[in-house]
Amino acid sequence: MHPTTLMYTSSLLLMFAVLLYPLLVTFTSLPLNNDWASSHAKTAVKSAFLISLAPLSLFLSTGMEAVTSSWTWMVTTTLDITLSFKFDHYSIIFIPIALYVTWSILEFATWYMHSDPLMNRFFKYLLTFLVAMLILVSANNLFQLFIGWEGVGIMSFLLIGWWHGRADANTAALQAVLYNRVGDIGLILGMAWLATNVNSWDIQQMFILSKNLDMTLPLLGLILAATGKSAQFGLHPWLPAAMEGPTPVSALLHSSTMVVAGIFLLIRMSPLMENNQTALTLCLCLGALTTMFTATCALTQNDIKKIVAFSTSSQLGLMMVTIGLNQPQLAFLHICTHAFFKAMLFLCSGSVIHSLNDEQDIRKMGGLHHLAPFTSSCLTVGSLALTGTPFLAGFFSKDAIIEALNTSHVNAWALTLTLIATSFTAIYSLRVIFFVTMGTPRFLPLSPINENNPAVINPLKRLAWGSIFGGLLVMLNINLFKTPVLTMPAELKLAALAVSILGLLTALELATLTSKQFKVTPLRTPHHFSTSLGFVPAIIHRQIPQLSLLLGQKIASQMVDQTWLEKTGPKAIANATAPLASATSNMQQGLIKTYLTLFLMTLVLVTLISAT
Amino acid sequence: MTPTHFTISSAFLLGMMGLAFHRTHLLSALLCLEAMMLALFIALSLWSLQLDATGCSTAPMLMLAFSACEASAGLALLVATARTHGTGHMQALNLLQC
Repeated sequence: MHPTTLMYTSSLLLMFAVLLYPLLVTFTSLPLNNDWASSHAKTAVKSAFLISLAPLSLFLSTGMEAVTSSWTWMVTTTLDITLSFKFDHYSIIFIPIALYVTWSILEFATWYMHSDPLMNRFFKYLLTFLVAMLILVSANNLFQLFIGWEGVGIMSFLLIGWWHGRADANTAALQAVLYNRVGDIGLILGMAWLATNVNSWDIQQMFILSKNLDMTLPLLGLILAATGKSAQFGLHPWLPAAMEGPTPVSALLHSSTMVVAGIFLLIRMSPLMENNQTALTLCLCLGALTTMFTATCALTQNDIKKIVAFSTSSQLGLMMVTIGLNQPQLAFLHICTHAFFKAMLFLCSGSVIHSLNDEQDIRKMGGLHHLAPFTSSCLTVGSLALTGTPFLAGFFSKDAIIEALNTSHVNAWALTLTLIATSFTAIYSLRVIFFVTMGTPRFLPLSPINENNPAVINPLKRLAWGSIFGGLLVMLNINLFKTPVLTMPAELKLAALAVSILGLLTALELATLTSKQFKVTPLRTPHHFSTSLGFVPAIIHRQIPQLSLLLGQKIASQMVDQTWLEKTGPKAIANATAPLASATSNMQQGLIKTYLTLFLMTLVLVTLISAT
Repeated sequence: MTPTHFTISSAFLLGMMGLAFHRTHLLSALLCLEAMMLALFIALSLWSLQLDATGCSTAPMLMLAFSACEASAGLALLVATARTHGTGHMQALNLLQC
């Protein structure tokens, strides 16, 4: 085996071994020491990160990619499934970033979940999730990817419902599973079509054999899978509801790693989509709709975690738009940079929430700029990176995407929605910063504001470095597969910056209006649309089941007795005849003598006429 | 119109006039109804004779049977009227008129 391939394979194997070792304690009955989470779980992830830097540096220096197929899983007449790993540009760059972010989150979680009696189980769940995610990312065939896909789905369910005594958490976990299941139908459809038409689930064989086939159906299946997993419009309600889980879960699963699995699938399968204009247009419009809709919903939320969740959903829509532009690598770049600043935003939220004694409503925060300066600085840095401030992490990916959008032959509606959503990003980011860090405190005086714990400071510091330099580092070290368009009019080049600044100024203006009564009778309808999340949960989660259950109740209890035995049977005759009888008797006046006389006259006339 | 036809028709008509124009007793209306039935019986009996149609020979007997039922029904109504309304006068039967 070539030394580079050997290096890639052995480091992945070592990473899996290092990450699975802490999980083996489940099989021993020894009591764990107090800081098992910190000494074993977090250290495992830190070591795995350091190990993953080796393939990364080798890849950056040689540019060599590898595919390893090892153990043959099953062999049928037409389909072979082996255990195979793909070490390409996408997986080699994503794995270190995911491990870096997870390391920071686990360290933060040792502080955040400190008072939880089941903290060790929490860390085991997080490690299992991480292993499933690595399986998904390094998979070379769809079967292995599906194993990782389902694994992250199940761990998401278990982690969202972590506080399972709370009914809302159970509902949210169920929502996550059900919506992901609907997406899985699409993935299985795609897999079935590919197994029957191109004879394989291996990526290399699929790409070669599908050159002349019409790939619309499996691509629609894969897009459905991405819609479910990455919370695109239509299957999106589970992501804001998933904020019921603890903040480390939100930071790891629902911002950096799990929700990008759907987009990652589309990126891996992008050569199949290159020539299929239907699939590309569908991705473009779906992504634009998602990013606009969720950014609108984020504008009026009051829970800090929900705002960040909708922000995640909006960025996922942006990634989907990028795939629709046939620029999978830019989408991947956005996944990488997004992981840093979104995880940091969630960790800052977690720090703020714990500091204010589990207060999540931004209307009850304020003035934290002076009271928790480090956290507010990180919050500001993260928000600036999110809005695409020049030369922070988000700028390199987001600006590249908007430039590509502006210079492509693209649907104008998608372009408009994406630009408006970019300005909304600035608006809700400023809203968070304004309510949380600026102004005067609106919380109770005796709040345990404390950022002195290194378990809080170090992760935030690491992620802050990532948010500032991450984009630059990634951009400097990769080769872009598709040549970007470098010359465009100045307006297009500055479009992203201009709409963001416009959003920022609008938000500043709105922020100064919070202390004045601008309109005596405000216009409620757009606010209601935004606060009720577009009425989607109200209709799909409540109205439709209510109508179905009412129909069922009517059929079960009323249909047989009331309808079949009464209304269409015996009583139908009575109900039909009685009005007729009463109408007839109302018409007859009872003038017998007149009737008989007339009858007689007629008869006499007939007789006389026939007699002549 | 043959004399026979005229006779029977006028007998029927006279009975009908009696039925229509009697104003006092219900019994007289019923008697005129019987006269009408009698005229019809004669007509049916002469039908098969005049037209040489033997197929309708049984018609008069049928007619008579039904007329008997009808007469008994009419008499029962008369008795019931006398019982409920006290008299057999037509003026008593004014339920349908205002």
